[in-house]
Amino acid sequence: MKLLDRYNRVTLVTTIVVMLITGLVYYEAIRLILINDVNKDLEVEENEVVEYAKQNNRLPQVFESNDQQITFYEAAPGSVHRHFVDTVYKLTPDESHRRHHHHGVRYEEGRGLITSASAGNRYYMVLIVKSTVEAEDLVKIIFIITIAVILLLLLTLFITNRLALNRLWQPFHNLLGELRIFSIADNKNIPELSTTIDEFKELNLAVISMSSRVKNDYKDLKTFTENASHELLTPIAVINSKLDSLLQTDGFSQQQSKLLNDLYSAVSRLTRLNQSLLLLVKIENRLVEDNREINLKTAIEELLIQFEEIFHDKGLTVDFELEDKMVNASPYLIDILLNNLLSNAIRHNHKAGKISIRLDGEKLVVQNTGEAAPLQPDMIFKRFHKASGSEGSGLGLTISKQICENLGFKLEYSFESGHHTFTVNF
Amino acid sequence: LFILCKEITGMKILIIEDEQGLKESIEEYFSESGNVCESVSNYQDAMGRVNLYRYDCIILDITLPGGSGLEILKNLKQRNYNDGVLIISAKNSLDDRLEGLDLGADDYLVKPFHLSELRARVSAIIRRKTFNGNNLLQFNELSIDLQAKTAKVNNNPVKLTRKEYALLLYFIANKGKVVSKNAIAEHLWGDGIDMANNFDFIYSHIKNLRKKMLEAGSQDYIQASYGMGYKFTDQ
Repeated sequence: MKLLDRYNRVTLVTTIVVMLITGLVYYEAIRLILINDVNKDLEVEENEVVEYAKQNNRLPQVFESNDQQITFYEAAPGSVHRHFVDTVYKLTPDESHRRHHHHGVRYEEGRGLITSASAGNRYYMVLIVKSTVEAEDLVKIIFIITIAVILLLLLTLFITNRLALNRLWQPFHNLLGELRIFSIADNKNIPELSTTIDEFKELNLAVISMSSRVKNDYKDLKTFTENASHELLTPIAVINSKLDSLLQTDGFSQQQSKLLNDLYSAVSRLTRLNQSLLLLVKIENRLVEDNREINLKTAIEELLIQFEEIFHDKGLTVDFELEDKMVNASPYLIDILLNNLLSNAIRHNHKAGKISIRLDGEKLVVQNTGEAAPLQPDMIFKRFHKASGSEGSGLGLTISKQICENLGFKLEYSFESGHHTFTVNF
Repeated sequence: LFILCKEITGMKILIIEDEQGLKESIEEYFSESGNVCESVSNYQDAMGRVNLYRYDCIILDITLPGGSGLEILKNLKQRNYNDGVLIISAKNSLDDRLEGLDLGADDYLVKPFHLSELRARVSAIIRRKTFNGNNLLQFNELSIDLQAKTAKVNNNPVKLTRKEYALLLYFIANKGKVVSKNAIAEHLWGDGIDMANNFDFIYSHIKNLRKKMLEAGSQDYIQASYGMGYKFTDQ
């Protein structure tokens, strides 16, 4: 859920609840005030009636007056308990006509005061009723206006929130975008945001300092790898040359020559491993920049000729369907990429297996038979991950993937009915 | 009319390399009857030497105590000395390689390398420099046309594949030396080929080459050596 939505939801619920409560309180308060008012009117009327009855020893004559009716009933002395009642007000035909353009008897809400008056020796119950319909109407109108104002306010707030918050959060979204494309390996830093909001400024600064710290650490690590590999080159070169020299001396026993062979293999692996590490650092730093237009078809064809004897030796059947595809890339890296993909297809194949290569405008697909089980797609591109018994450096696919990334390609692995497939999507 | 060329002996070579162990190995590998092999291990000595004497080929390390090998190369070119130059460097950087070749180096070899590979490269440089377009290489009854990339035994053409031809040339450059299977594999298939412990395909290759040459009437020059490699020799 978006922060804005969440925020809006909370505000909305709170506002509605508060509004309902306020509305009710407001409604009650106004109603009470108005009823109080009516009560006072009723009391004034009561007073008049009672005073009149006292002075004149008879009941006053009752006139049909506006919204007010007085009725007298004879009652047992002292039997009337004075109190206010909510009652109905029976409209006179005249009023009914005036107010509702209607003939006949109609009732309205009313407020009554039951009281007593003595006139002469008689005791009367007096019922004074006033219509409260106008008061009620007033309350309703006030209530509706209030609600309308609150609703309008709410709507305005909602819209302004949406507009303003979207704009307010823009720096945050910008920063998020930067973080998303942040790469530890490239030279691009997180830019400073143009915002006046303190929170975003702080966030921005924290992210900038974090990213540069991370980049520095990474750079140190890479420099170390590079230097270490580099320093290793010379001793490896010496071992290699000494082995070559040793080979020139005569009289090896079978055991010695076996040992020497093993040494050669080990040194050769060491060399390749070291070269792969150096190469990886170089590709990651994007230091290979001899880009030019290359036709992948030609490059693959050359490679196929190069590997011909090996296919033959392993009894591999190679079928290929190649279309022209020009890419702007370093021939050196393309060579390594193709070499790696094809070497893997050979190395992890079985005797008399199959390799199929497809190249069109969108993708390069290298498919080979091999082990019956699929590889783990999320593991194979990791450094030093290799199949058990593999003589490779464990860096080949990492390098291939990095080359593809540099070129904006995507390298993917899939497995289907016994075929391992590597696909480069351009 | 063929101009018969002598096989490459009597090379005069200067090794500029500061790593003692490597320098000694190279020197030893190149020193044999008829070859003159000198070596220096720092920038100043190297400068002095190249300004005084001429060599068929200079094996030049780039990182030297006292200065850069590239400066020595520049100096050579400024003085219009025509020595062949092969750069050997631990810096497997493309820029270095390109700069070296731009400055007029004849070839570039990245450490670590096989001595046989170095020897083959040096031979190729010297062949190019010395024979000035007369591209015939002679070894006893074998003659190789470097331009047309063909081989003959006593004027009998031997039909070789590209790889067999390269292999023959590699053997001749390293004649008398045991060349390891590793070195052969890397020479023929590049170091991208990572087929450790599986050199069967080299065996069948060498068998084919040997058979073709014997059939054309050549002596048997190729000997297997303790299962580690092969030796091309007429002795």
